Amino acid sequence: MPLPEKLSPAKLYRTCNAREFSFTTTAELDGPIKATGQERAVEAITFSMGIRHDGFNLFALGPNGTGKQSAIMQFLGTIAPKAPVPSDWCYVNNFEHPRHPKALRLPAGKAATICRDMEHLVEALLTIIPSAFSSEEYQVQEKNIREKFQEHQAEAFEELEKQAAEQHIALIKTPAGFAFAPEKNGEVLKPEEFMMLKKKERETIENEIMTLKTAMQLIMAQIPKWQRETQEKIKELNRNIANFAVKPLMAELKNSYASLSDVIGYLETLENDIIENFDQFLEKEPDPREMLLGLSSGKFSQKSSLLSRYRVNVIVDNSMTKGAPVVYEDKPACQNLVGDIEHISQMGTLLTDFTLIKPGALHRANGGYLLIDARRLLLEPLAYEALKKALRTRQIRIESLAQLYSLISTVSLEPEPIPLDIKVILIGERQLYYLLNVYDPDFSELFKVAADFDDELPADDNGKLAYARIISAIAKRDQLHHFDRRAVARVIEHGSRISGDSTKLSAHLQSISDLVHEADYYTSSAGRKLVKAADVQQAIDARVLRSSRIQEKIREATLKHSILIDTDSEKIGQINGLAIYSPGGQSFGHPGRITARVRLGKGEVIDIEREVEMGGPIHSKGVMILSGFLGARFAINQPLSLSASLVFEQSYSGVEGDSASSAELYALLSALSGVPIRQWFAVTGSVNQFGQVQAIGGVNEKIEGFFDLCNARGLTGKQGVLIPAANVENLMLRNDVVNAAKKRRFAIYPVTHVDEGIELLTGTPAGELDKTGNYPTGTINSLVVAKLNEMAKKIKKFTASASDEDE
Amino acid sequence: MKLLIPAQENSMLFRHITVALDSSPHSLASLTAAAELARLMQADLTGVFVEDINLFRMAELPCSHEIRIYNSEPEKIDTAQLERSVKLLAREAESSLQRIAGEFNVECSFRICRGVVSTEVIASALEGDLLVLGRSGRSPSCRKGLGSTARKALAEGKKPILLMRPGFSADKGDLLVLFDGSEGANLALSTAVALTRAGNTLHLLLLAESYEESLKMERELSHKEALSNAAVEFHHLPINNGKKLVSYIRMAASGLLILSDRMKITRESVHDLVQEIDYPVLLV
Repeated sequence: MPLPEKLSPAKLYRTCNAREFSFTTTAELDGPIKATGQERAVEAITFSMGIRHDGFNLFALGPNGTGKQSAIMQFLGTIAPKAPVPSDWCYVNNFEHPRHPKALRLPAGKAATICRDMEHLVEALLTIIPSAFSSEEYQVQEKNIREKFQEHQAEAFEELEKQAAEQHIALIKTPAGFAFAPEKNGEVLKPEEFMMLKKKERETIENEIMTLKTAMQLIMAQIPKWQRETQEKIKELNRNIANFAVKPLMAELKNSYASLSDVIGYLETLENDIIENFDQFLEKEPDPREMLLGLSSGKFSQKSSLLSRYRVNVIVDNSMTKGAPVVYEDKPACQNLVGDIEHISQMGTLLTDFTLIKPGALHRANGGYLLIDARRLLLEPLAYEALKKALRTRQIRIESLAQLYSLISTVSLEPEPIPLDIKVILIGERQLYYLLNVYDPDFSELFKVAADFDDELPADDNGKLAYARIISAIAKRDQLHHFDRRAVARVIEHGSRISGDSTKLSAHLQSISDLVHEADYYTSSAGRKLVKAADVQQAIDARVLRSSRIQEKIREATLKHSILIDTDSEKIGQINGLAIYSPGGQSFGHPGRITARVRLGKGEVIDIEREVEMGGPIHSKGVMILSGFLGARFAINQPLSLSASLVFEQSYSGVEGDSASSAELYALLSALSGVPIRQWFAVTGSVNQFGQVQAIGGVNEKIEGFFDLCNARGLTGKQGVLIPAANVENLMLRNDVVNAAKKRRFAIYPVTHVDEGIELLTGTPAGELDKTGNYPTGTINSLVVAKLNEMAKKIKKFTASASDEDE
Repeated sequence: MKLLIPAQENSMLFRHITVALDSSPHSLASLTAAAELARLMQADLTGVFVEDINLFRMAELPCSHEIRIYNSEPEKIDTAQLERSVKLLAREAESSLQRIAGEFNVECSFRICRGVVSTEVIASALEGDLLVLGRSGRSPSCRKGLGSTARKALAEGKKPILLMRPGFSADKGDLLVLFDGSEGANLALSTAVALTRAGNTLHLLLLAESYEESLKMERELSHKEALSNAAVEFHHLPINNGKKLVSYIRMAASGLLILSDRMKITRESVHDLVQEIDYPVLLV
């Protein structure tokens, strides 16, 4: 089997040729920040925004910082202005049922007008009604009605008094009513005089009084009726006067809104209410007790309460809106979405009315588009449910949460729901989308379209130009220095590096934007006017440096031999694996020693990490796979008579992933064959049951981690890393690594099979089965087979002697 | 004809004003008017509340029952309860007197007496220069015209007497004087001049047999110094036309009417006039 060659330096880093660019600096480019390479997502957005049926709302999924929101905003920026402007909405008093305020739909821009009109109406009525009621005509008419009642009453009493006087009986007003008593010369008879009368006379008087009392009772019974009639007449008069005063103003107002039947209906109920409650427009003497308690401030409070009663609470004002509204709700709390009913405290009691209804984002975005961050939405209690309810019922129903959950017990409102016509766009990570899809049956009904944003884009000419445009747009938007084309090329190379693929570019716009800003800082510090490649490199290096504390501590411990990593000698059953660490978002690689020991046993491979529950399931799977490889290769004819143990030395925090499974297999083969492994190599790559080496992640960081250690100890030219051949495309190594490779001081070997790897690591071929079914002598495999045979014999011998002793 | 317009130093006509109080709206108007006049004349004020003897007598009669507006069955009058109610009314009257006297900054005293109301009121009036009382009292049957006490005071009482009703003021607004050249009319005019405030008009209704005579009276009065500082308007009416006089006073609606019952027109006619019109009247 031919051994893989060291990778040429050109393969270690894909350089972006700045001379390919048609521009010199990014100042020459224009256009907004576009989501390049997101055709699939854009197609989904176009579809979702275009289809008008229910439930075709959008979920834009993808990692954070991939420009989902920008892409959607850009798209909406093209279609929203062409859409019709939605209606205005207001809440007005429901005079019959004040607990159920009425929603009023108005053409765009009319809500503010009607609000102003109502304020002017109240102002005018405050003058007109009092003057109508203080007019002489009214005063005279009212006085006449009241006097008529008084006269009516007086006449009845006079008649009775006269009747009584004829019988020498006086009608006397007592403090609480009336009474009759016999009189003589204008004075009531004294009791003794009365008693001196003859019995018959007394009886006559008493009978007379009885008759008069009955007559008086009849009059008394009539009085409430007369009072009622008088009140009715006064009410009728008031109604007429109020009607007379209000009618012309209302007619004018109705004329202005003649084409709006809802408004006309409201104005009619309003007119009736004003006429019925005209007295609230009359100036009242403030109650001194209320003044004392600060409840009333006289005329001012009268006016404000009237303004409140007849106010128009504008919920949606689209007077300044062009096209359909596009709203991004940054804090999608329940009350921020569907609106809220606020309360005011008065003497410790919470009160509310329709003027305290506050609109939510759904109101503002009604007839347009609403963007919400899905994670924030789910973090807000009840918000997601409220949003779903609104979308499902296609109406916005404002409910007081506190009332709904009995947190407060006070008067609240049930405003009339407002019809909802909206496209909701949720933006979130993929994980959220998948979870919602699985666990929420409503979700797939309401968010039928998914715009899946890619993490990367091809590193072709278009991709590179898109990067340049993005840099240009960021520089223009944030007033940064422009980049020269070499700096752009460096950013593109970094984009490839963070995408983990030299043929791709990262779609994580946030990272690019951050790098652009950081590079701009160094340019400004240096006093230059154009960002150079060196500034970009400085920004990248500084970022690495900022997060390199842990990495340096580990390397320092290694150099001090606190962590044992050999990079020079050859050892049996010991190999340098490569682990990746990701504290705080920045990843770095570092070698870790893997050892394997064998002894007589029943063919099991013990993964010490798993035994102590420090290994993850994928790692355990990797170890079992390599056991499968061993069994298939060496235990076809006889059982494996060994027990092997594998461990990551000096690992104290657990191991996950299968990228070390090839290294573990090499260590095991070395331990079985007794052939030492060259410690100047480090190995990464997973292995399958056929011994093929498979791709792993973080290859650049892993190589750089081993390089940094070797470099610190001094490069010998022998050192290198074995990587899966499938990972060659992912290589975007640091400049110093590439330079070392160029100088043949460090090497990267692409390995496709463990047989290649073991030969590179030991200098001894793996060996292939010949026609007789044996491996060539001296090869790794033959040595392993020999060792296994020897162990099998020992087991057999041991088992036989043990059974003899038993007998 | 000799005019009896007094000199400026004699303008303080009333030094002691008596006001009859019974807690009715008319009585409250009387109290306010009395206080206004007391301030104007630097007089002191005496409030008189009469506990109606008839009420107490009636309460002791076996056949007396009280009929209340919102109570269907007549109830026997409880004398103790009646006493309490009357005392309460008296207290109300006293506190009204003190409050209003305080507002007008006049000296006041309050007196309660028991007896027949009209008799007691007329008797109290003897102690003062002026008796002020409401045109009608608490009885609903006598709201038209004059109440029984007012009627009796008018017929039997010592003059001057001011009969008030709500809605008018004694020292604000215009005044109307009936003048026929008699001694009584001169007295009325003198009183009116004393009561006229700056900015108010004194309406002089001249009653004469003929228009010429009426004009002559106007000319003579116009030259009087006492009238020179006041805004005076003269009106003319034939003396023997009672109906016209009533309707004229009603139409003029000039506020307080000042007249005397010792004029050329008969005393009865004057009393009838006072009964007929629903305006405050100062009879001197």
